[in-house]
Amino acid sequence: MLIGLSNELVMETCLLAGEIMLKSGAETYRVEDTMQLLAGSVGMESVHSFVTPTSIIFSYRAGDEDHTRMIRIPNRTIDLNKVTLVNEVSRQLVSGQISLQEAYSKLLEIDLKKTLYPPLLLHLAAGLASGSFAVLIGGNLFDFLLTIVSGFLVNLTVSYVQQILQVKLFAEFVAAFVGGIVVLQAAWFFPVLHLDLMLIGTMIPLFPGIAVTNSLRDLMAGDLVAGVSRGVEAVLTALSVAVAAAIVLSFVG
Amino acid sequence: MFWLGGLSLSLLSAVSFGILSNVPLRTLPAVGLVGMSGWAIYRLATLEGLAASFATFLGSTFISLASQTLSVRLRVPATNFSVAGIIVLVPGSTAYKSMLAFINGDYLGGVTLGAQTSLLGGAIAAGLILGLSLFRLWKGFVSRYARNARTRAKTD
Repeated sequence: MLIGLSNELVMETCLLAGEIMLKSGAETYRVEDTMQLLAGSVGMESVHSFVTPTSIIFSYRAGDEDHTRMIRIPNRTIDLNKVTLVNEVSRQLVSGQISLQEAYSKLLEIDLKKTLYPPLLLHLAAGLASGSFAVLIGGNLFDFLLTIVSGFLVNLTVSYVQQILQVKLFAEFVAAFVGGIVVLQAAWFFPVLHLDLMLIGTMIPLFPGIAVTNSLRDLMAGDLVAGVSRGVEAVLTALSVAVAAAIVLSFVG
Repeated sequence: MFWLGGLSLSLLSAVSFGILSNVPLRTLPAVGLVGMSGWAIYRLATLEGLAASFATFLGSTFISLASQTLSVRLRVPATNFSVAGIIVLVPGSTAYKSMLAFINGDYLGGVTLGAQTSLLGGAIAAGLILGLSLFRLWKGFVSRYARNARTRAKTD
């Protein structure tokens, strides 16, 4: 147990909070601020943190000892619920409602939490988002129904391929390709459908919305390294989806 | 009828994106409303004859301001709202047309439409940043005013 050593506990708590937030898609400045607030609230001096989308470096001074650690974040998902929960824990700790020990056990609990919604609902939500986007840009009821199916399949493919291959870009490419093929076949059999609108709708859940917003906020906050690397991530995702769509379109001739 | 359909569909898509990025259940209605009003503003601006890029800019500025305000009100990070909100403004059809032009060998048309797409993307980014800075400015004013009031109360 590392409970006996107070310094160790502070370090573990801060790094765990930062790791959960960064893994779940929080902005860089939020991760840095949270870790600095946590360490500062228990009396550590000269607290510094450096966060990029793939690593955290954290250091502080306790008495006459310096403590520094670095951790890597290998894979990132999007789970804004965890970001919100960690935010609440840090707010409670800073305002003195809970002790450091309680905060640490709460963070451990949050880390093990599953996603808020069951996987089936997530796939269905992706489908509904696709379908409504296709209608918003001018589709009809039949487009809506078919794009729901293809959006559902896209999200299903992303989650499975990601589990098997662990390469996010390739998973997105494969999923976009699968969705495109489904839409293409449907438009082939039923000429009443709009291929272009359905294709746009199908690709929209893969759009890197969180990466774009976070990259802008990071750049605004002055975290140039983090902002640029997140921006590159977003561009790469968009490119892999675009290439898949282009391959599907080249079948049309 | 058009408005009813558009509003309910943008609400639906914003809520779906909220579920997809796992926002907390209690913020889901607000997420939907942010997305819906962002789309409504964009749509109203285009119907009034404004350019698409300016309409996108207005919509994303509103979404950014609304998510900042809601994040203070509901005590959750602002990303929860802005992420589902901006999806309805994404220039999907221009990006698609640009890609189609490239595949058909019409490189000039492809570059034109690609420039248009990046203009719309830039409008989203500019709107988000403007909302952020306006909110920060407003917060600065508020905190300074509150501090002044507190010091005045102390000295009185």
